[in-house]
Amino acid sequence: MSLKTFRGGIHPSEHKEPTRDLPIEYVPAPTSVVIHLTQAIGAQNQPLVKVGDRVLKGQKIGDVQACPAAAVHASITGIVKKIEPAPQSNLKDGMAVFIEADGTDETAYMPPLDAFVCSREEAIARLRDAGVVGMGGASFPTDVKLAPPADKPVDTIIANGAECEPYLTIDYRTMIESPADVVEGLAIAAHIVGATRAVVAIESNKADALPVIEQQFAGHNHGIPMEAVLVATKYPEGGEKMLIKAVTGREVPSHGLPADIGVIVQNVGTLKAIKEAFADGKPLIERGFTVSGGACTTPKNLYAPIGTLIADLIPNVIQISDDLRKVMFGGPMMGVAVPSLQIPVAKGTSGIVFFTAAESRQYQERQCIRCGRCADACPARLLPMLLNAALLSDDLNRADAIGLVDCFECGACSYVCPARIPLTQQFKLGKDLLRNQRAKEARHGK
Amino acid sequence: MENKAMKLILSGAPHFVTGNDIQKTMGMVIIALLPALAGGVYYFGPRALLVTAVSVVSAVAAEFLFRTALRRETHITDLSAVITGMLLALILPVSSPLWMAAVGSAFAIVVAKELFGGLGGNFANPALVGRAILVMSWPAFMTRWSPSLHAAAVDATTTATPLGILKLGGALTDVMKSVGVSEKSALYLQMFLGNRSGCIGETSGLLLLLGAAFLVVTRIIDLRTPVAMVATTFAASWLFGQDPVFSVLAGGILLGAFFMATDYVTTPVTPAGKWAFGIGAGFITVLIRQLGNFPEGVTYGILLMNVVVPYLDKIIPHKFGFVKPRKVNA
Repeated sequence: MSLKTFRGGIHPSEHKEPTRDLPIEYVPAPTSVVIHLTQAIGAQNQPLVKVGDRVLKGQKIGDVQACPAAAVHASITGIVKKIEPAPQSNLKDGMAVFIEADGTDETAYMPPLDAFVCSREEAIARLRDAGVVGMGGASFPTDVKLAPPADKPVDTIIANGAECEPYLTIDYRTMIESPADVVEGLAIAAHIVGATRAVVAIESNKADALPVIEQQFAGHNHGIPMEAVLVATKYPEGGEKMLIKAVTGREVPSHGLPADIGVIVQNVGTLKAIKEAFADGKPLIERGFTVSGGACTTPKNLYAPIGTLIADLIPNVIQISDDLRKVMFGGPMMGVAVPSLQIPVAKGTSGIVFFTAAESRQYQERQCIRCGRCADACPARLLPMLLNAALLSDDLNRADAIGLVDCFECGACSYVCPARIPLTQQFKLGKDLLRNQRAKEARHGK
Repeated sequence: MENKAMKLILSGAPHFVTGNDIQKTMGMVIIALLPALAGGVYYFGPRALLVTAVSVVSAVAAEFLFRTALRRETHITDLSAVITGMLLALILPVSSPLWMAAVGSAFAIVVAKELFGGLGGNFANPALVGRAILVMSWPAFMTRWSPSLHAAAVDATTTATPLGILKLGGALTDVMKSVGVSEKSALYLQMFLGNRSGCIGETSGLLLLLGAAFLVVTRIIDLRTPVAMVATTFAASWLFGQDPVFSVLAGGILLGAFFMATDYVTTPVTPAGKWAFGIGAGFITVLIRQLGNFPEGVTYGILLMNVVVPYLDKIIPHKFGFVKPRKVNA
C-alpha cells in the first residue's frame, strides 16, 4: 500500500539514528536563564517584573493586551538581574529578562482546570495565560489557532508527528515517552474547537510510535473518534498544508488558512504542553529539543527550561568538537544559523544542530540550467526556476503571478538545485520586496 | 567556547544540499550517449570514434580558450561541452572531414553557447546550431553517406539514407533494397537495430532507447517532450500517407526527441510547455520532410521550437491550493 502524501518533496538523508533511541534527558536547572519577553508571532509583550524582583518558576513575567500574543513565564525561581535586549535565535536582539537562580524550587503554577467541564472561553484563556505556542517552530499562539472564526467550523484536528526535518527526533521521543499526554492534549484541543475527528499523523520512518499512540486512545480520547495514520517519509511532510493534504486530501487555498477547510494542525509537543497547561496548571516554561550534528560529539534529546543558554549546556550536558563551524536553531532545512552560543532555548526551539567545517561547506553558484528539479521538488507546486528568473529581472508582477507568496520557504528547491542557486533565500527576499511594493501601491491609491 | 563561536558561519536555510550537481548530471547524459556511439562504431567503423573524439576535444578546447580569452572562470569540468561535442558528432556523417567536425563544434560552443552567456544562457541547442551551420556551409560533405558495414547486399562506398531515397522519389521498396531486405517487418527490424546509412549516432533506435531508459530511470530527463515528439511524428507522417513506423525509425527522430528535445536549457520547464514543444518539433519535422527541400527536418524542428520556449514557459500549471477565480457577474 502506498502511503498518504502530497505531490513534490525531497528525500534528504535523515540523520536521525544518533538520537532516535536516546530517551529524553532532563537537564538540571541552570543557574541563570535569559527569557525573551516576546517568543510568539504577534504583539510585543511588556515586562511584568522589574530588576531585583524575586520570581517563581511558572510566574508570568511578560504579557500584553493584544491578539495574537502569548504570555511568557519565569522558568526557574530566582532574582531578576536585568532586563535588556539580548540576541535570540531569530538573529534579532529582543528584550529579555535575565534571572539568576536562588537555589529554591518554589513554583507558581495555575490551579488545574478540566477542559471538558469549563467553558470554551475559559479554556482559551487558560491556553493564553499558559503562553502555549506552536512548538514545531512557527511559535503561533495556540489559543488563537484553537479559536477560529465562527464561520469556519473545524471538523478535523491533526496531531503533527511527522517530524520531517533531518536530525530532529524530539517529537518522536515525545510520542514514545509521553503518548498519554499527547493523546490527552489532542482530545482537549479537539474538544475546544469542536472537531469530530482527531488524527495522529506519523511519518513511516517512525512507524513504531503508531501502536504506542494507539494504545492510549481508549483511556484518553474523551469520546472523540481518534485514529493514527502513517504518512510517507518525505520532506516537508510535516509542513502544515502538506500534512493536511496527505491526511484529508484537502488543499488549503492559496492565501488561506487551514481553518478555511475545517482543519487544524498541532505539533505533538504542543499537545503535551496543552495537556500540562490544564492538568498541571503548568505554563510553557520547559521544552524538549534535539541536539545533534557532526560537531556535537554527544547527540541527545534534552528537556530544559526555556531561557537556557546553549553555552551553559557545554560541556556538562553536551560536548562540541573543535571543528564546529555552524550552529542552527531548528533543523538543517529550515533552521536559522546563529552567530554565537550565547543564545537561549526558546519556545520554538525544536533542535540545535552543530555542523563541522565539512558539513558547513559553501558551494559556488552557477547559472540556472533549467533542469526543473526545483519544480519537481516544490511542495507548493511552484516553478522556482521561473520565479528566480523573474526576480533576477526585477519583474515582481511576474513573480507574483507564478505564486511567490505561496512559497513557504521549506528549502526543497535549494536542496535539489545542481547549480547551487540559493533559491529559498532569493524568495524570502523577493517576498519582502513584493510586500513593500504592494504597500507602496496601496499608499498611492493604485 | 567564545573563540569557537567567533568563527561560526552564517548562511540562509537550507543548510543541506543534495550531492547531485551539474557535473554529475552531465556525466549521466554522457553515459547515456555511449550505447549510440558504440553503435556508430559498429555500423560505420572506427572512424566514427575518431570524428567524435575530434568534435569533443574541439568543443572543450573552444570553451576553455574562449572563456580564458574573456578572463572568465572556465567551467569545462561541468562536462557540458563534452556533451555538445558528442551530440554534434553523432549527427554527422561518418565520412565528415575531421576539420569540419572541429569547426562545427567550436562554432556550436562559441557562437551558440558562450556568446549568450555560457551554459544556461543559450536559447538554442548548440549541437543543432553547429549542424545547421555545417549543412549550410559544406552541404556536399553533410550529404555524403556511407552504408552500414553490416548491410546485407550493398557494396557501394556511398549511398543514400532511407529518407533521402524517399525524397528522390523512391518508394519504401527501394529503401528495402538499399538495406538488403524484402519484407517490411525485416526493414523495421534492421532500422531499429541501426543497420542503415545515416549519421553516426542516429541509426539505432535500440541503443538510443537504451540510453534514454537510463536517463529516465535516473530521473535526468522528463518523458513528456520525447513522447509528444515521437507520437506527433507518427501521427503526422501517417496523415501525410507515409508509413508511420518507418517515419519514426528513419532520420534523427529518436536521437533528437530523447537527447536534444530534452536539453534542459533550451526547452520549456513547464509540463504543458514540454508537451507543446514535443508536438511542435515533431510536426515541423514532418512538414520539412514532406514539403521542404531537405529529406530530414529534426534539426530545424527542434531549433524552431527552441525559439518559442519563452512563450511556452508562460503556460504555468496550477499551484498548491489554487482557487478558481470567481466569475464576476456583470
